[in-house]
Amino acid sequence: MSVLAERLINALGADAVHTEPEDLAVYSFDAYSEDRLPSAAVVPKDVREVTQVVRIAAECGEPIVARGAGTGLCGGAVPTHGGIVVSFARMNRILEIDTRNRRAKVEPGLINLDLSRATARDGLFYAPDPASQKVSSLGGNIATNAGGPHCLSYGTTTNHVVGLEYVDSRGEVVTVHQDDPGYDLAGVLVGSEGTLGIVTSIDVRLTRLPEAVRVCVATFGDVESASEAVSQVIGAGIVPIALEIMDKVITGAVEAAFKAGYPQDAGAVLLVEIAGLADDMDASEAAIAKVVRACGALSWRAARSQAERDLLWAARKGAAGAIGRLAPNYYIQDCVVPRTKLPVVMRKVEEIVRDHQLQVGNVFHAGDGNLHPLLLFDRSRPRDIQAVIEAGSQILQTCIDHGGTISGEHGIGYEKRESLGLLFSADDLATMGRVRDVFDPARRFNPDKIFPSSASCNEVRAAS
Amino acid sequence: MPRAKARANVYEIDGRRPTRVVEPTNEQEVADILRAADAAGDAVVPIGGGTLLGVGNPPRHYEIALSTLRLDSVHVYDHRDLTIGAGAGMTLGHLASLLAKHRQFVPLDAPRAAAATLGGTLAAGWLGPRRATYGRPRDLLIGTTTALADGTLAHAGGMVVKNVSGYDMSRLYVSSLGTLGVITRANLKILPMPAAFRLTVARLPEGTRARAAANVQGLDVEPTAALLIDGFREILPFELGAEGAILLAFEGSAAAIERATRSVRSALGSAGVPETRIIDTGAHQTFARTIDAYVASVAERSVTLRALGLPDGVLKREAAAREGIAPTAALLDTIVDLRCGDLIARVFVDGKLDQLAVRGTLSDAVAALRARLPDATVLARGLALEGDIDAWGTLPPAIDVMRDLKARFDPRATLAPGRFLGGI
Ligand SMILES: Cc1cc2nc3c(=O)[nH]c(=O)nc-3n(C[C@H](O)[C@H](O)[C@H](O)COP(=O)(O)OP(=O)(O)OC[C@H]3O[C@@H](n4cnc5c(N)ncnc54)[C@H](O)[C@@H]3O)c2cc1C
Ligand SMILES: Cc1cc2nc3c(=O)[nH]c(=O)nc-3n(C[C@H](O)[C@H](O)[C@H](O)COP(=O)(O)OP(=O)(O)OC[C@H]3O[C@@H](n4cnc5c(N)ncnc54)[C@H](O)[C@@H]3O)c2cc1C
Repeated sequence: MSVLAERLINALGADAVHTEPEDLAVYSFDAYSEDRLPSAAVVPKDVREVTQVVRIAAECGEPIVARGAGTGLCGGAVPTHGGIVVSFARMNRILEIDTRNRRAKVEPGLINLDLSRATARDGLFYAPDPASQKVSSLGGNIATNAGGPHCLSYGTTTNHVVGLEYVDSRGEVVTVHQDDPGYDLAGVLVGSEGTLGIVTSIDVRLTRLPEAVRVCVATFGDVESASEAVSQVIGAGIVPIALEIMDKVITGAVEAAFKAGYPQDAGAVLLVEIAGLADDMDASEAAIAKVVRACGALSWRAARSQAERDLLWAARKGAAGAIGRLAPNYYIQDCVVPRTKLPVVMRKVEEIVRDHQLQVGNVFHAGDGNLHPLLLFDRSRPRDIQAVIEAGSQILQTCIDHGGTISGEHGIGYEKRESLGLLFSADDLATMGRVRDVFDPARRFNPDKIFPSSASCNEVRAAS
Repeated sequence: MPRAKARANVYEIDGRRPTRVVEPTNEQEVADILRAADAAGDAVVPIGGGTLLGVGNPPRHYEIALSTLRLDSVHVYDHRDLTIGAGAGMTLGHLASLLAKHRQFVPLDAPRAAAATLGGTLAAGWLGPRRATYGRPRDLLIGTTTALADGTLAHAGGMVVKNVSGYDMSRLYVSSLGTLGVITRANLKILPMPAAFRLTVARLPEGTRARAAANVQGLDVEPTAALLIDGFREILPFELGAEGAILLAFEGSAAAIERATRSVRSALGSAGVPETRIIDTGAHQTFARTIDAYVASVAERSVTLRALGLPDGVLKREAAAREGIAPTAALLDTIVDLRCGDLIARVFVDGKLDQLAVRGTLSDAVAALRARLPDATVLARGLALEGDIDAWGTLPPAIDVMRDLKARFDPRATLAPGRFLGGI
């Protein structure tokens, strides 16, 4: 047995440490998929054990990768450098719900949806709702600053985190809170993809459930006109709580899987959700419907029951899974443009995909300008893989050219790290490197993530 | 480089005057000034409108006042995107009037908006009373350009409302009080203006306060701001009752506001509050005046502190503050934020005390207040801070990380040295 394994077992007990290749295989990839075995995987039960693991890693010179549910789509939880994977599967409790102040304290392994389920009877919910909310963990959500369909009006994860406890690179426990005077350390930790510290406890804000909710479906001839409608609705001063678009490829797949009642003949479907006081629902719906119709909508209808609403959403959130019916593999891109640029960028995406003789499905958070072209392909065909890689990077470049960014919610991780330099200058990256110098000078937390491999020399220069 | 002439007195901080005032007109000039100052060992304090200079300790030394007021241009604004990118020196008043043309707004809610700048409001970590509804200023910020002490111009974020490309560096500059870099540009999310804005004001008769506050906290239609105000009479545009007044802001459709008003009247009525006044015309101005109270100083005779906390304990904390102050010769005005949970406490002395006694009394009062609310920080004041009154309360647990960040970003302590907590 290796020294590392021995020390981990001494600290955590044999049942919390995995070192056999067949056990480690589970920790070697995430939803982006990239097989790299760690040297060991540990499943600590509390923060004290996490501190021990970090100390052992430091002493043995091993990198550490935190892992939530492994649903990340950019290789963020993949142990590209070997080392220790820390799984939060056992640290998944709700520690406290403070209904009066609308706060909760939870462990990072808690599944996102479980929090809203636990608080619903008090009329509260946890607003950030990634489509993976049934499986992804709060720790993973914090590390990626996850978004979701409803962050159009509620904001992303960072807007709902009020405090964090993390284990730093020396194995010390540090707490940070938004009400503490000083630098906003919680704000920097959120979205840092496990490269600054291992989050062991999370304080979140809960949101009051709206008094009334209405879900409407509009259809359009194509994605571009649906995108134009989104821009017009927002431009008219109306912000629904969700504005989602699905194209014909996607609605076909989700209807086959869910039978939710999405029209099959339209080129694109726009899903609109409004929420608020019951008194406002009719007027809000009418105002949006008017704008949407003026943009050429072919139809507009509101779901009549809670069951129908739930089904429409289940199908929307299950879109990525349903796509499995259409092709053996798919690659999901995640980038953002200013909302008004959506129509032109969507047209460009169509062209890029056509040029590469690929098929695409589009399902995206249109209200935020957050595109998700799903490029369908067959991994067994080398031509396909090359085409997907090329089309993917052309789409990124198109977004940057239109004032956008290269990731809206999935993060940079391993997948996009070489692209970060397209967006930021060496100085910008070195400035981020200064933060990393402070939190993790030895680069032990999640190496090979976020920063381009070429950035390391800049970082070193900045550090000297 | 453009330089202000004899205006150094405007930039006085705690009796210290800079030897030079610079007014750069673009981002590169800011970076150049910092690089030169860093090399020369001159301390630079960035200054916007000067409305929040009461936050923070006196600088250890102070050679250059860097005014951001000329960095006031609009970089990007297409109203259909609901975002704006503007120079850090743009005043909130100017920003508000630009946005109002398209019936849009940004809920930063800082005092003296006509003078306060975007950069100063963010750098000082200002928190307004509507944040429970609209989010904190940090939540509205989607990108920044910042000049660092060594002359680096660092960009972070962008012009899109969702972004997880690299670290969220903009967060770091919010509430950093100019000690990590000078913000030169800020990109913000903006919001469509609600159809209507209404304030309700109710004077609280003897014995009604606790119940009125509790009933307001349980309203079915949530106000976007809920303040219980006791004091600040010289600045408020409305009257107080024996136990102060409750001011509520409602925003939304006309139907929603009518329903809210009925709920408020019944909630306050059942607490024994006979009358609730409605302010529709001039509601925005009344609201702005009320927020000015947060930084209103009583000549050299006051210090205003702010203690953050949770809504359900805020009245208890106010009571604790009163008890703490009672044995001192100081008086107390308060603003209790019933939605966000913060307490604003202005300690002041009446006009009969002489200069020396004023200082002693105020420093006793601040100490007494801090004994009950250890993390209260100074928000505004009419007198210079010296050793006997510290702007900061207890140090946060992560102070060492903050010190390391300062050392990494500004190793020679060029930017506002000593202004921040823990001597940073
Ligand atoms: C079908 C599907 C739909 C999705 N929809 C969305 C969506 O709508 N919006 C969205 O934002 N994402 C979405 N995702 C992506 C993914 O679900 C999110 O990124 C999620 O936040 C990852 O959570 P996780 O628990 O699976 O984390 P993992 O994949 O295990 O890890 C993600 C990152 O977080 C780090 N990490 C995990 N735990 C910790 C911790 N305790 N401390 C420090 N770092 C930690 C990891 O090191 C890694 O870098 C989707 C994924 C799938 C498969
Ligand atoms: C008409 C008028 C009347 C005034 N009356 C008074 C008075 O009665 N009493 C009084 O004490 N003062 C008074 N002042 C000064 C004034 O109150 C403050 O100096 C000013 O309002 C604060 O402006 P600001 O809000 O832009 O932020 P500032 O107060 O300028 O700055 C707040 C903090 O942020 C920092 N900062 C500012 N801009 C940046 C940036 N871009 N990047 C990084 N850090 C930055 C500053 O160093 C400071 O620590 C008055 C000013 C005016 C114009």
